[in-house]
Amino acid sequence: MTASLHGRLFLLKHLIPFKSHHSSLLSPLHTTYSTSLSPPQILISPVSTLSRFKTKPSFARSVQLNGVSAFTSESDTSSITDVASDYLSVSICCQKQDAEALSEALLSFGASSAYMDDLSDFGDLDEISITSIFPQDARVGTCISEAASSICLEYSPSYDISVCKQCDWASYVQESFQPTKVIDGLWVVPTWKEPPDLQSTNIILDPGLAFGTGEHPTSKLCLLLLYKLIKGGEHVLDYGTGSGVLGIAALKMGAALSVGLDIDPHAVTSARHNASLNSINPSRMPLYLVSGKGGLASPDATVDDLVFKKGEFDIVIANILLNPLMELDEDIVSYGKPGSIIGLSGILSEQVPQLEERYSKYLDGISLSEMNGWACLQGIKKRH
Amino acid sequence: MATVLKDVVVRRPVAATLRLTVPAGGARPGPPVAPVLGQYRLNLMAFCKDFNARTQKYKPDTPMAVTLTAYKDNTFEFIVKSPPVSWFLKKAAGLESGSGRPGHVSVSTISLRHVYEIAKVKQADPTCKHLSIEAICKTIIGTANSMGLQVVKDL
Repeated sequence: MTASLHGRLFLLKHLIPFKSHHSSLLSPLHTTYSTSLSPPQILISPVSTLSRFKTKPSFARSVQLNGVSAFTSESDTSSITDVASDYLSVSICCQKQDAEALSEALLSFGASSAYMDDLSDFGDLDEISITSIFPQDARVGTCISEAASSICLEYSPSYDISVCKQCDWASYVQESFQPTKVIDGLWVVPTWKEPPDLQSTNIILDPGLAFGTGEHPTSKLCLLLLYKLIKGGEHVLDYGTGSGVLGIAALKMGAALSVGLDIDPHAVTSARHNASLNSINPSRMPLYLVSGKGGLASPDATVDDLVFKKGEFDIVIANILLNPLMELDEDIVSYGKPGSIIGLSGILSEQVPQLEERYSKYLDGISLSEMNGWACLQGIKKRH
Repeated sequence: MATVLKDVVVRRPVAATLRLTVPAGGARPGPPVAPVLGQYRLNLMAFCKDFNARTQKYKPDTPMAVTLTAYKDNTFEFIVKSPPVSWFLKKAAGLESGSGRPGHVSVSTISLRHVYEIAKVKQADPTCKHLSIEAICKTIIGTANSMGLQVVKDL
């Protein structure tokens, strides 16, 4: 693909003596090469996906699968700026035998990543190229020469820099999202695909940058837990809702109310959007942006907005990570009524003992389900 | 996801070797992870979840060195290590290169406290688990000396 082309272009480039400079000064051949380094322009397909996500991240133009009117999003005031920053993509030319050492060294001197195609792909070429990504304000020339001298390189690797614009990463995420069967009769399906089984319960998702396509083992474990527990009419809390997949699933399985909390504004936007994709009335799935310490984050939310209270939920499910599960143990459990089921996931099997030890003071009858090295812990909240 | 190592004798064809620095517990669908993984069509969310879960035991935002092997079938495996000792020492001594901080003062001495803090992070590394804190400190002091850094008891 473009990999071997990189190698060949570099071979030609090496004959022309020059040092670093921006792509504007380069010959057409080189400009083409630099452009090819910006993956978003070339690799994105299909075109429809690209047009949907021109601004970032906007769900404004996405259309529901069954042709119902397009969803118009509220304004996305994302405060997560690092997703939107420009960065520098630098391709560096070096001898094949130095490539690995140079890649490692670059990371110690300011590069945030360094990658190269498998060495066997370069065939007989002595010279190969490494692509390295730097933050926008990095002093690339200095980094590279320091990295080179740290591994005692006898030559000064030539390189050139392209500035890469922020990309719509959501489209990368979308590409690998396939319809997933959780269990007979329950599927999670992307909006742009036809549900394979129209008779079963289909959760339609457009996750954007939020986590939760139903494909990950932890999502599956939690969905299976909900499937087992929900009989109808329950109040469910999805602590760390991400795309809202668990909350939506609970409602589709018969729960009466599904409240979602998350610390990430992308998640709240995504969950809201997905709720509407599944024709769920917002009053059945209220969503809240919370701080990482427990408690509401949105400055405009007041105590009156709290339509849920602590100690009110029949099921609390938290598919996050070990550290927040440990730090927020009291907060998570506080939402459940006595005798409610608390489900905890996003943990590796090796992390279960410490989680079990912590939660044993809140929960009785702790049991475990596992899949591919990931685990889901569940227990019944103690009555006092 | 192909993060489970299989005991297969025949190696899957490798597409690329990717090296990244990602803050512990902080992998997100954006730079630095997304441009690299996106280039090889790897499942970004799966990597983020997996990486974040595996780095829970490190101090948040410690830059972790990830070496990822991307296979031609778009699956991948990765290993995670804390940054090399030289990286920590450079930070401690203020010799941060390439990050564009003009006017930043650099020094050639670091304190024993720095060494101890670095040793604590390193002890969580799979390769150092069996070593005592003292042994790790000694290695760090050795590296510091070879870098021309002097270790003093108090700064």
